[in-house]
Order: sequence, then structure tokens, then C-alpha cells
Amino acid sequence: MRQEHFVARHEYEWREFERWLEHRSASARHARSHRREWNGLSDDQLPERHRRLCQQLALARRRGYSAVVTDRLQQLMQRGHSVLYRTKPVHWRRAIEFLLAGFPRLVRAERHCMLAAALLFVLPLASIFVAIQIKPDLAAGLFDVQSLARFEQMYDPAGKSDLGRTDEDDLQMFAHYIGNNVGIGFQTFASGLVAGLGTVFVLIFNGVMIGGVAGHLQAVGHGDPFWRFVAGHSAPELTAIVIAGGAGLRLGLSLIAPGQRRRIDSLIHGGRRGAKICIGVFAMLVFAAFVEAFWSSIAGVPAPVKYAVGAALWVLVGLWLLRGGRNAAYRDDEDAA
Amino acid sequence: MLDTYRQVVTPEGVALHLRAAGPVPRALAWLLDLALRAVIYAALFRALVGLFGEAGYAVLALVVFVMTWFYQVLFEVLMQGRTPGKWALGLRVVAADGAPVGWMASFTRNLLRVVDALPVGYAVGLVACLFDPWGRRLGDMVAGTLVVHAPRHTPQTAAAVVPPLAPSSPLLPHEQAAMVAFAERAPRLTLARQIELAELTEPLTRSRGEQAVDRVYGIANWLLGRR
Repeated sequence: MRQEHFVARHEYEWREFERWLEHRSASARHARSHRREWNGLSDDQLPERHRRLCQQLALARRRGYSAVVTDRLQQLMQRGHSVLYRTKPVHWRRAIEFLLAGFPRLVRAERHCMLAAALLFVLPLASIFVAIQIKPDLAAGLFDVQSLARFEQMYDPAGKSDLGRTDEDDLQMFAHYIGNNVGIGFQTFASGLVAGLGTVFVLIFNGVMIGGVAGHLQAVGHGDPFWRFVAGHSAPELTAIVIAGGAGLRLGLSLIAPGQRRRIDSLIHGGRRGAKICIGVFAMLVFAAFVEAFWSSIAGVPAPVKYAVGAALWVLVGLWLLRGGRNAAYRDDEDAA
Repeated sequence: MLDTYRQVVTPEGVALHLRAAGPVPRALAWLLDLALRAVIYAALFRALVGLFGEAGYAVLALVVFVMTWFYQVLFEVLMQGRTPGKWALGLRVVAADGAPVGWMASFTRNLLRVVDALPVGYAVGLVACLFDPWGRRLGDMVAGTLVVHAPRHTPQTAAAVVPPLAPSSPLLPHEQAAMVAFAERAPRLTLARQIELAELTEPLTRSRGEQAVDRVYGIANWLLGRR
């Protein structure tokens, strides 16, 4: 068939398709609310029309029609493709489902990596803590004198009304904690891409730092305000760091031990799961920052209440991670959400 | 085919044309985004801290936090794969199959900027970008995304309608295509260039000068089926 006849025969179809793309492809919500005013191509006809268009494009290419026709069809096809194959929008219900059920399932699925990350974090933390109790001078090797003085001033038992800070207000500290902690969490995960080495380093480094500060404060007798301060937010914060570390180790493993996948496919798979885990880590760290800024710093609450709340949060986080999403409804939902 | 020009076959069996972008336009887009963010921070700093003092600092810190991790993600997902910088450079982020990039993929590729930025100035990302045939950095590989040059909508003009003229001898398919392509593109060339090109077909048109141009137009119209 000559090009002109081909164009004349299908021109109307292409126009309709183009008009649909211009008016209804941008926003699904807008399209739904203006359904009545629309008199062109109906939405459920679109996939069929797109396939027809693809067939016409292939035909036009094969018959060697000129660029005027093939380029135009090509552009229409690409626009149709990006409408038909766009990813599903996120719904609030699904997001909550993911946090309550999908995320604990993902974490449990990587339990070996999580365990390794926990050991990499807790072992240095505990050893440094114990070492400083035996030989308090070790703290001076970890931190310089100004930092030590600052820690001691922040947690001075005879000090001011607020725990763990100088004189900024709660909101400002919230902003500081959230930026700081989420930064550490995300870096812990992402640096796993360097064959897991980055994650190992970040975990050990943070273990040593936290253990060092805690050990020093305990050794110089400022332990009480420090423990009262960290009891509340320790559960969500420390577990979030460990989980981010586990996800990072998983990412590193999918690079060096891709198993039966191609290395790149293994990376894509590991990265996708890791990024999902990071969303959960993000939620945990935002929660931890809330607790840290608005609860942990209150000095007036008696120590038993603080420790009780801290223990309750540990139990809740533990229950959530171990029991969340164990019902059958989520069994086959691994790669959704 | 050009080195960075990639074809992805869609489920319908036709090829999508994706022109993968190299490191230089991507770096420029990133710098533009950086500059834009700096301007926004400066403006917010004046507005918030000037008006609310200490509380303003807190809100500013929250905004900086959100912009650090989600500036790229929000723009890429909500603006069809384009941050302002990418928009200025004519770039788009798409999924590897040519579909628009989703929340997860965009979040992943921007999360892994942390690695690509190692040790300084996106060195890891640059090396990955130079070795990968699609010019992807590590974050793109993991997220399954690709930065492409957005197709420019060049206006295509149909060939002018003139009385059709049958060619004196049968033409091969690629010769036919060349005749039609000339008729569609010639209006944008100077007359001298048109004549120069048309005279290459002298064995067919048996004429020179402007008459050759007219005859090629005529043959193109005949080939297009305008009879």
C-alpha cells in the first residue's frame, strides 16, 4: 500500500489516540472526575488501540515509509507505552500494610545478614564499654579532650533540666536527630554496595563510638542521666541501624555471591529489597527521633518510668519484627508494595 | 547505529528508541540542581530564620533533610523523570524497559548516590558510567533505570504536493526511501543545496538545475501514491 493511502486510512485513529493522550493521560484522578465530559476514545479501548498502533508502526517500518509517518507513529507509541506501563500509584492502605507486615517479613527473610550485622555492631560496642570500665584512660584514645568535656557536660547529674543537650529547643533537636540518624542509616545500607565493606566499617565504627561514649560516661559517674536519656529511643534507633546494616550486607553479598542469577540481576533484586527495607528503616528512625526529641530529654520523669517505657519499646519492636505479617494473606506478597 | 542508541523491544514487539545520556550532560544537570537547591536554601534561610528565629532554624533543618534525600525522588516521579536540572538539559530518567520510573526505583537510585559519590566528586559513578554500555552509574544498575535524552519533537513536514511523475526506470526500496526523504527535507535546505542534491539523480531525471529538483519532487509524489 502506498504511504498516502496508509496515512489516509488510519489518520483518524491516530488523531483519536493522540487526543486521548493529551487530555486523559496526565492525571488519573482528573480523568476519573471528568469522565462524563469526555467523548473521545474510552479508557478501556486504549490497550487495544495501542497494540494496533504498534502493528501499524511495524508495518510502516517494514514497508519503508518515510520519516514523516514512522517518526510520528514512533512518538505516539512511546507516549502510549509510558502510559500503559507506568508503575502503580502508592496507596496509604498498602503503605501501612507494608510497615506492619511486609517490612518484618523482609527483615526475617534476611535473618542471617541481620544477625551478622547485629554482631558486627554489638560486639565492638560491648567490648569497648567493658574495656573502658576496666581501664578508663582508653576513652582519651577514642575522643579528644573537648568532646569528652562536652559529653560530660551534656549528661552532668548536677546539670540543667534537659537531658542530653545544651539549650536548643525540642523541634530543633528533632530536626538534628532525624537528619543525622537517617543519614547514618541510609549510608550504612548504601555503602554495602562496596562488596559489603562499607557497611562493615560503618557498623563497627558506630559500635565503637556509642560504646565509647557510654563506657566513658559510666566510668566517670555520669551514667544515670545518660541511661535515662537513651532508654526510650534505644530500641527503634539501634535496631534500625542494625537492620540497615543487614540490608547493606545483603546488597554486598548479591555483588560478590550472586548465586544462580546474573550478577546484574542479583544486584537489581538485592537493591530492590534493600531499598524497601530502607523505607522501613526510615520510618523507624523518624519514630526514634520523635521519642528522642520529645520524650527522652524530659528530666522530670523518674528513672523507673523511663526504663519501663524503654523496655516496653524494646518488647514492641521485637514483637513487631518477629511476629509481623505471619498471617497467610501476605505470604505471596514478597515483591509487591 | 550510534553507540549510545539503545533499542528496547516492548511487549507489543516494536522497538522503543532510547538515547542513553553520557556523564557530561548528567553532571551538568546535577550541578544545575545543586545550584537550584542552594538558591532555595538561601531564600528559606532568609525567610524562616529572619521571621521565626530559633524555630526557623529547626524548620530549615527539616527542609534541608527532606531536600537532601527526596528532592530528586519527588521530581523524578512526579515530573515524568525530570528534575529541573534534567529538564534544562533535556534528560529524563526512565525504567530500563522505557516505562516511567516508579517510586521504588527512583528512591533506590537516589539512595545509592551515597556510593556513586565515593570517594570524591562522583568518581565511582563516573567510572561505572564509562564502562557501562548504557552509561549507567551503580545506582541506575541496581534500580534498573536509565537516563535518556528526551526525544525532541522535531516538526516533520510532509512533502509538497506537485503533479506526480513516474520514474523512467524501477527504483530499489532504498532509492525510493531516499527520494521521499529528499522531498520531505528539502524545504529546509537552501536552493543551491537542493539543486546540488537533486543533480545527483541526473541519470534518472535527465535534467539539471531547478528542473531536477522539480522532477525529484514529482517522483517522490508518485512514490507516495498521490495519483
